[in-house]
Amino acid sequence: MDERPAASADGEAARTRVLLIAVFTIATCGLVYELLSGTIASYLLGDSVTQFSTVIGVYLFSMGVGSYLSRYFQRELIVRFIEIEILVGLVGGLSSPALFFAFSELGAFRVVLYGWVTATGVLVGLEIPFLIRILKDQFPLHDLVSKVLSLDYLGALAASLLFPLWLVPQVGLMRSSFVFGGLNVLVAVWTCHVFRDQHRRPRLTAQAYAALGVLVLGAVYSDDLVDWSERRLYDDPVVLSRSSPYQRIVLTRGEGGVRLFLDGNLQFSSLDEYRYHEALVHPGLASVAAPRRALVLGGGDGMAVREILKDERVREITLVDLDPSMTEIFRDHEAFAALNDYALRSPRVDAINADAFVWVESDTTRYDFIVVDFPDPRTYSLGKLYTTTFYRRLRERLNPGGVAALQSTSPLVSRQAFWSIVETIRAAGLHAVPYHAPVPSFGEWGYVLASEAPPSVPHAFPSGLRFLTPAIAATLFEFPADMAAVPVEVNHLNNQILVQYHAAGWERYVRGRR
Amino acid sequence: MTSQAMDSTQRALQDNAPRRGLTRRDLLRMGPGAAAALAFGCGPQSPSSADSALDAGRITGAIVGASHRIGHRLRGSAFPEPQQTRDAGVVIVGAGIAGLSAAWKLARSGFRDFTVLELEPESGGNARWGENAVSAYPWGAHYLPTPTAESTAVRELVEEMGLVEGYGPNGEPIYDPRHLCHAPQERVFIDGRWIEGLSARDVAGSDGPAPGGEGEVLAAFEAQVRRYRDYRDAGGRRAFALPLAAGTTDPEILALDRISMREYLDRAGWASPRLRWYVDYCCRDDYGCTLDTTSAWAAWHYFCSRPADVEYLTWPEGNGRIVRHFLERMDGQVRTGMLVYRVRSAGDPSSGAAEARVSETGSEAGAAAGGVDVDVLDTRDETAIRYRARRCIYALPRFTAPRVIDGYLPAGIEAFTYSPWLVANLTVERLPAGAAWDNVLYDSPSLGYVVATHQDLRMTTGRSVLTWYLPLAAPSPETARAWMLQQDWRDLASLILADLGQAHPGIESTVTHVDVMLWGHAMIRPVPGFVWGEARRRAAAPYGPVRFAHSDMSGISLFEEAQYHGVRAAEEVMRELGHPFSSSL
Repeated sequence: MDERPAASADGEAARTRVLLIAVFTIATCGLVYELLSGTIASYLLGDSVTQFSTVIGVYLFSMGVGSYLSRYFQRELIVRFIEIEILVGLVGGLSSPALFFAFSELGAFRVVLYGWVTATGVLVGLEIPFLIRILKDQFPLHDLVSKVLSLDYLGALAASLLFPLWLVPQVGLMRSSFVFGGLNVLVAVWTCHVFRDQHRRPRLTAQAYAALGVLVLGAVYSDDLVDWSERRLYDDPVVLSRSSPYQRIVLTRGEGGVRLFLDGNLQFSSLDEYRYHEALVHPGLASVAAPRRALVLGGGDGMAVREILKDERVREITLVDLDPSMTEIFRDHEAFAALNDYALRSPRVDAINADAFVWVESDTTRYDFIVVDFPDPRTYSLGKLYTTTFYRRLRERLNPGGVAALQSTSPLVSRQAFWSIVETIRAAGLHAVPYHAPVPSFGEWGYVLASEAPPSVPHAFPSGLRFLTPAIAATLFEFPADMAAVPVEVNHLNNQILVQYHAAGWERYVRGRR
Repeated sequence: MTSQAMDSTQRALQDNAPRRGLTRRDLLRMGPGAAAALAFGCGPQSPSSADSALDAGRITGAIVGASHRIGHRLRGSAFPEPQQTRDAGVVIVGAGIAGLSAAWKLARSGFRDFTVLELEPESGGNARWGENAVSAYPWGAHYLPTPTAESTAVRELVEEMGLVEGYGPNGEPIYDPRHLCHAPQERVFIDGRWIEGLSARDVAGSDGPAPGGEGEVLAAFEAQVRRYRDYRDAGGRRAFALPLAAGTTDPEILALDRISMREYLDRAGWASPRLRWYVDYCCRDDYGCTLDTTSAWAAWHYFCSRPADVEYLTWPEGNGRIVRHFLERMDGQVRTGMLVYRVRSAGDPSSGAAEARVSETGSEAGAAAGGVDVDVLDTRDETAIRYRARRCIYALPRFTAPRVIDGYLPAGIEAFTYSPWLVANLTVERLPAGAAWDNVLYDSPSLGYVVATHQDLRMTTGRSVLTWYLPLAAPSPETARAWMLQQDWRDLASLILADLGQAHPGIESTVTHVDVMLWGHAMIRPVPGFVWGEARRRAAAPYGPVRFAHSDMSGISLFEEAQYHGVRAAEEVMRELGHPFSSSL
């Protein structure tokens, strides 16, 4: 190896310059990581004040821990510094993918979040004490402290301006994370070169380059990690997306709360879903004399189950949803299980993943109350769940005196579709009582009560409802002229007329809005 | 619930957007009747992504089920002498719909002493089916039209199968909607887009206000359909009935059999290309024949034998569901892999021919016969067995009879000709958008495809099996058969993917498996003069102790006809043997 004499004065000055640039860079990176964690936590969990406060608090405290720990490092400070830079680059650079992954796949998001913030903070906290100690012979103390801290705060200013103005709107959370991790590692690489006579460890240089390679790859392919094209479809940030064999599940969170989309179609907004679900469940449930056993078909989000649980008379609820991903998200995922008050964890609830048509054909139990909460009949596959054939099977699952409540699309947007559902239920030999409720996210929404005998008018509801009262419920059964019954055909498997009615109504509505 | 229907609506509109077939136009230019052009040298000209998928082995498959080598042993191989003899009351040769229907009628009448012998490893004939991890699927016939009042035996069958939920005010059966073909039922890919429906009006009327008087031609055609449907002769019989034996013998109607459907259209002056395509498509679909090789009588039978509101009973495995029903009612009496190579009267080998002449007028002569030996080769171990039976019901296509039945060579037997078919089952990861049950391609010699999972009531993941049909209707059955036997799987799969690619560019990316079945003699051809000609009339006669049953005895390859002949033969045999039964006919 080329043994060189001690560095010249010029070399010394160059090294000092490198280290001072490093101070600026690592300060910028450190604050970017902090802002990324705070922003991602706000996106995913909502309540940005809480998220930012806790993330900043934990981060600053961890930096303090790092500064304290710096005393235990005595020898080969420049080597330690390079190692720290590589580690900060990797931990900070991978923070966005790690947090998104933890949220959508692991469930224990907060553990990962604060663990990650702590690790980043401790490593960043080591940086400045190391640099001050490395540079302590180059400058008098007052000059050194002034230089390092002013550059540190200048870096923070750069980060705080770059982040909202350029990084979030243009680069994206995922790529920003990789880019700034890469900058951190670049500091390590540069330091490696400038101080190569002091460390003489080719492996260290190789490690630095390897880490840089990982982060550059991440930055290049970050579009693949996040389907931005999909995210553009939604108004609010996508906080979870999952493809099951049956559908694409997307949850977004914004000022309007959490929204669930299945195959791009809004299923609920946490802002007003209580209106939809109270109206779906309580008029029917309250009209049953002694409901003990309830069945929910569809509705894997657990909201309808939450409403049924409010009625103490119901002992057992069977939830049948096709998609295991749905019940898993809304039972096991803290952020979303909270939306249904952890209904799917209740001992009164048995959640089953099965096809609803197969289930009603093979099930032998009879229920006092049944909720049918399928997606709208926008495909022929879904249309089969709105046929006389299906309703006859449903009828066989009802106890005498039992009532079924069915979501039945919008009687305002798709009037023919709504009344076709009503007529189809009647053709299956059941009494059908249509009603509707205003749900701002959807507009005027329609439901039908189906039973062997005409259901009684409900007089009392469980306490704690935010929308429904007996007085309001009574008005829901009145249909104004613009939603009144129209002559329609019954929906059979061999005509699937409902899919056409539905498409016609919604197509007109969408055109009209443009 | 859905509020944002916008996305799905937009998607639906995009799916319906005009789209030209991106793959080789030369393949699709071949209009009706030019199946042979497809067959002969019109293969892929440049490597496509379908070809690379085949070459890379990403799409798997094989030519399956072709037992022509075994069947062709009848052409002259020597067979071992039977080592053992078994007694049976009745031996039924062939486990297609005719043979199984004969067995069904016997079993239903409490006559259990019968054996069915089938050459293929599976029963069912044209109604055979297959099954894989995604779905069951048909290898041939895939639906049964709801039976007319004349089809008494079919009505009996569908009731026994539990398909009838009740009866309407006029006694008409109400079917379990699960088994009636669900919507959407049919669509046609024409001019680069799909149109819903597959009636003459859907197809011929799809051209907009036609300058060439298409509308008038269509109206005239529809009026003729109504006239023939409403026709009743002095005895109250319809012009075209099911089974056709129940129809009129009015010479004016039967005269239609003397000309081809093309001649009929020409004489009527119906020049509309769309209408002619439609009629030709129907001939290919039902008979494997073109406008030139289908008699006008057979074509009108297709259009007028069923009421306008006919529906279709269908299942994933097609008419395999009916075969399964038949087999469930047998007591292990159907033996497969059995090649019947000789049938002869037990007492006097030479007596058969003499009796045949006598028996033309009735079944009395048969009753006098002493019994029948049916020699069969078990193809699994090459051992021969002799069944000594009182009667034999020969339920194979008639062209095989001279090679199997000793001394049987009625004049005009060569008039029995059969169209070859090629059927493929494609496993797909994603069902094409907007797929109906039956998806027909206008610009193709193929008939398009049928979706095996169409009747599935479950929410689907998109995986499905498509059954693709190609009747080799021209130029002649012999040349088509010879061509077919020369093809390897790779060539056929490439051709099938190119054909489907017209309507579904890039479909190969969703196809994982392609199995192909070659049917050498799939359907009797109702060529002009055959249905009401001498050869078919003669073929109705029994031959000594042998009774015949097959749809070729009607000249049209329909379930109703096959079942009719099976049941009829079974009833004849029971009558002769003195076994009591109540007639289904």
